Amino acid sequence: MKSSDVNFSNSRNARDGLPNPSLSAGFGNPAGASRDLSNSSHSTDAGELPDAEQLTRIYHTMVMIRRFEERVNELYLQGRIPSTLHLYIGQEAIAAGVCANLRQDDYVFSTHRPHGHALAKGVAPQAIMAELFGKATGCCRAKGGSMHVGDVRVGMFPAIAIVGGNAPIAAGAALAAKMQGTDRVTVSFFGDGAANEGAWHEGLNVAAIWELPVIYVCENNLYAASTSFSLTFKVKNVADRAAAYGMPGVIVDGNDVLAVYQASQAAIERARQGGGPTLIECKTYRQCGHSRSDPRTYRTHEEEAEWKERDPIPRFHQWLLDRGVCTAEQLDEVALNVEQTVDEAIIFAESSPEPQVADLYADVFKE
Amino acid sequence: MAVDITIPPLSQTMDTVILVQWLKAVGDEVVNGEPLFVIETDKANLDVESPATGILRRIIAEPGTEVKVRSKIGVIASPDEIIPQGPGPKPTPEPKAAQPLPTATGPGGQPLPPEQRNRIFASPRARRLAQQEEVLLAEVTATGPQQMIVEQDVRAYLEARRAAPEVTPVARRVAEAVGLNLTTVVPARPGARITRADVEAALAKREAVAPAGIQWVDLSPTRRTIARRMAESQQAAAEVTLTREVDATELVHLRERILEELSERDRRPAYNDFLVSIVARQLKQHPYVNATTNGERIGLSEEVHVAVAVDTERGLVTPVVRNADQKGLLQLAQERAELVRRALDGSITPEELGGGTFTITNLGTLGVDAFTPIINPPQVAILGVGRIRSAPAVHKEELCVRQLMYLSLTFNHRFIDGAPAARFLADVVRLIEKPHLLWLDVSQSIP
Amino acid sequence: MAKMTIAEALRQALREEMRRDERVFCIGEDIGIEGGFGGAFTVTLGLSEEFGHDRILDTPISEIAIAGVAIGAAMAGMRPIADVQYGDFLFCMMDQLANQAAKMRYMSGGQVAVPLVMRAPVGATARGPQHAQSLEAFFTHIPGLKVVAPATAYDAKGLLKSAVRDDNPVIVFEHKLLYGSKGPRSERGALSPIGEVPEEEYLVPIGEGIVRREGKDVTIVAKLLTVYRALAAAEVLARQGIEVEVIDPRTLVPLDKELILASVRKTGRLVIVEEDNLTGGWAAEIAAIVADEAFMWLDAPIKRVSAPDVPPPFAPVLEREYVPDEEKIVAAVLSLF
Repeated sequence: MKSSDVNFSNSRNARDGLPNPSLSAGFGNPAGASRDLSNSSHSTDAGELPDAEQLTRIYHTMVMIRRFEERVNELYLQGRIPSTLHLYIGQEAIAAGVCANLRQDDYVFSTHRPHGHALAKGVAPQAIMAELFGKATGCCRAKGGSMHVGDVRVGMFPAIAIVGGNAPIAAGAALAAKMQGTDRVTVSFFGDGAANEGAWHEGLNVAAIWELPVIYVCENNLYAASTSFSLTFKVKNVADRAAAYGMPGVIVDGNDVLAVYQASQAAIERARQGGGPTLIECKTYRQCGHSRSDPRTYRTHEEEAEWKERDPIPRFHQWLLDRGVCTAEQLDEVALNVEQTVDEAIIFAESSPEPQVADLYADVFKE
Repeated sequence: MAVDITIPPLSQTMDTVILVQWLKAVGDEVVNGEPLFVIETDKANLDVESPATGILRRIIAEPGTEVKVRSKIGVIASPDEIIPQGPGPKPTPEPKAAQPLPTATGPGGQPLPPEQRNRIFASPRARRLAQQEEVLLAEVTATGPQQMIVEQDVRAYLEARRAAPEVTPVARRVAEAVGLNLTTVVPARPGARITRADVEAALAKREAVAPAGIQWVDLSPTRRTIARRMAESQQAAAEVTLTREVDATELVHLRERILEELSERDRRPAYNDFLVSIVARQLKQHPYVNATTNGERIGLSEEVHVAVAVDTERGLVTPVVRNADQKGLLQLAQERAELVRRALDGSITPEELGGGTFTITNLGTLGVDAFTPIINPPQVAILGVGRIRSAPAVHKEELCVRQLMYLSLTFNHRFIDGAPAARFLADVVRLIEKPHLLWLDVSQSIP
Repeated sequence: MAKMTIAEALRQALREEMRRDERVFCIGEDIGIEGGFGGAFTVTLGLSEEFGHDRILDTPISEIAIAGVAIGAAMAGMRPIADVQYGDFLFCMMDQLANQAAKMRYMSGGQVAVPLVMRAPVGATARGPQHAQSLEAFFTHIPGLKVVAPATAYDAKGLLKSAVRDDNPVIVFEHKLLYGSKGPRSERGALSPIGEVPEEEYLVPIGEGIVRREGKDVTIVAKLLTVYRALAAAEVLARQGIEVEVIDPRTLVPLDKELILASVRKTGRLVIVEEDNLTGGWAAEIAAIVADEAFMWLDAPIKRVSAPDVPPPFAPVLEREYVPDEEKIVAAVLSLF
């Protein structure tokens, strides 16, 4: 089967009234991994970097995610959103860096903290916002909510909120791509906690034995809910477990968007060439609590302050200015643009209708 | 398990009934469905069936007393069972060897709380069929598991009922209870059975024109007795009324001439007295009209005792003129007047009210022409007398004004046929029309 | 018409569907191994010779991965037929089936479908409690899963083909004693019914039950092996003048409710037989439906003949007491009269 023969046989056709997905295709050259964790510097020593336009777009994605999450947080505190939220603030470099390398027809599987991945993969902010508001125009028609956002038309499957649950499923999607004879890759995002779930181990094992085109991206933000990494792992790194399954394990500074970009680019290329799976561990930190009902009393202020210093967005902002990639005005315009987009998304969501009672019974089965 | 005997709510208008009598004594065996006691409602006496099979262990209400509808008046149980005293019997452990009492135990054999003791267990399927066919489940024998009535049982009941009358038992029961004559009820389709629905429709029509703002008055004992006896009479008799127009002109003239001959002291004979005299003599000639009955046999007698109906404040009473056939006109007048006076002032005695073999009732003074008097049991006939009025008539081939009146003879067709009754009436009429025939002691009937 | 066992009928269905649609593949343990059994009950025997090991995909002992990979592949356009070696192992992959496969379409607002088949052998066969359960009831209770339970060769082939062509997750329950597996995989005490299967293409629609035997006095609803026990009981009862109607629903979800209700309206009595524990079971659901929707037609209480509320035991004498058999069914029917 050729890739052109394959359509998203399980995806919808026309979806009236829903915004079209935006594009965030990325490309780049193979590059190695980086371990530099210093302030404001980004590793650039491994191969070529994206051009200015692409870099700007990556920046745009990061700011988009940040502002979307911050605004949604405000809305939640104002009582205007019915659901709880798992905010991606602080981890933007990973979603943006990885997804910049993906085509629209590549697959992404996410977790209970999916807003960043969804925005980075190209799901329309309006559709996500409407889903959070529980409106019929939401990307999942308000049937899923915050933890299940996605749009198969841009390759983002509805996120899976069972920790570790997406590992074997992502392997299955990768298997399908291989069976269909395409060079499509699948990315499975997950947190450090998932690496202790049985499903995760089974998924990585079969991905390895069958050499499936799937990239497992671990966003190690040092806490699984309130439980710290050190309490639940004997090994120092999640990536150390890659060896257990016979796949390459890579560690990067998850707050260095270019390091993430380059590491994931390499893994994605390898997968596309039939080289099999990779486990990339991104060391990062989530600035907010696990969910909205988390007072974060299990972390110290010092720790939080220290990681705030390494916030990926100001860091990248500075780098772009320093390298002369963008002017300050250009970057301000991005910020404005983002703000406007979020404003529009909120207006769209608030003015959208709620689902009808009959929708309760829709889509249990495909008829 | 003990089963309460309660008064069923069969009367539409009464909260209480009179327990007339028990048909069984304490210690007797009773069978589910067999008549157990008699109650008197405002319309009729009704038999009530036993709700269970067992021994009549206790009688709580005595005959002749007034009891509330739905109240408990007795208990049926197995012979050796301990029946608790007081309100709400406590459940006792079920004796395995006891007779099966289908309405007293739940399906698991556990004793039921008191309010469920009279439940009939029937499967939904059986109930549905019973409802459709208007079958009373209490009349169906249960053969299903755990003594439940199943569909087959209802079908068996229907089979047995197939040859039965055109009125459903439920309809009959309801009609009786509300005093509705079934002949006034129309079935839903011609030729179909009369169902409860039909009875209720007829009842609704009747109720629809009932007056508003009714004040309920209790019945006096006399009234109650009359009420009961009237109903009894109707139930026990196949009453037919024959009517004849009588030319009483001769009698009128006769009376006028007799009155002219009377002294001041003499009681003036009324038309009733003439009629008593005439009727008494004819009754001697027609012993079957002079008869009494106990429902199964006819009692013939040489004696003629004519009762006359008197309208008193307390109601209608019928004092008896004994051996009326042997008394002269003035004597009859005297006696009758005495009886009427005593009837009116309430000093009449039971002996003076009983023993009649025939009754004459006269509504002529109230302007009634003809009516359908009701027989006074144990008699078999009654004569109703209408008013005498001047009216045009044909006499000796010519049209002239005569004194006419109607006689209405009601007789019990169970014991007398129409022709013999008509012959008696004809004889009476002839003596009224031709009073001079009394002298000739005519004993043959005119055809 | 050809005569074949259920295992052969299933194998034929797999072969035909894989030939017909190159998106169809099998995934499970020991299903394609050279010189292997063709799965625990020989159903996939020989298929890897025709379709290769990429389409008869052997997995590690990783039930979660079997289910998860099948789900992911189905969401991405393939039509996998996965299986567990013993139905008991469905519990190992429960999250994937209940939280992922069953809910994916619903929670995505209809964006994806999961056209997946999961085959599972059930039934007690003297292997002890963890290899003996009949646990259809767990899955009939999850909205978003279809469940079928074929009891004959004809139905096995027809329903498996329908399941493969259905765009939803379908769990296919098969009874170990009905396969008719031969050789080293044959089961002691197996019933192994041989059935007639048409040569030409046919399907058995999902959602249609069937009356296996007509009668007017009592309805018995049974599935898988208990269908045969019910038919045997019906013979015994016929000699006592009781005419039994035996219904095999074939599909458990969506249930052919009207078939059962119409039968109960006719007979007025219902007995449900299942090889599964009594409390909270599938029979309880059928009883509830009939008590609700055909109450007025019932002439007797509804009876369930189920396994007692104990894990399935090993010792044959205990297992005989555990499973519903002809005698227990006859006794249940007689108690209604």
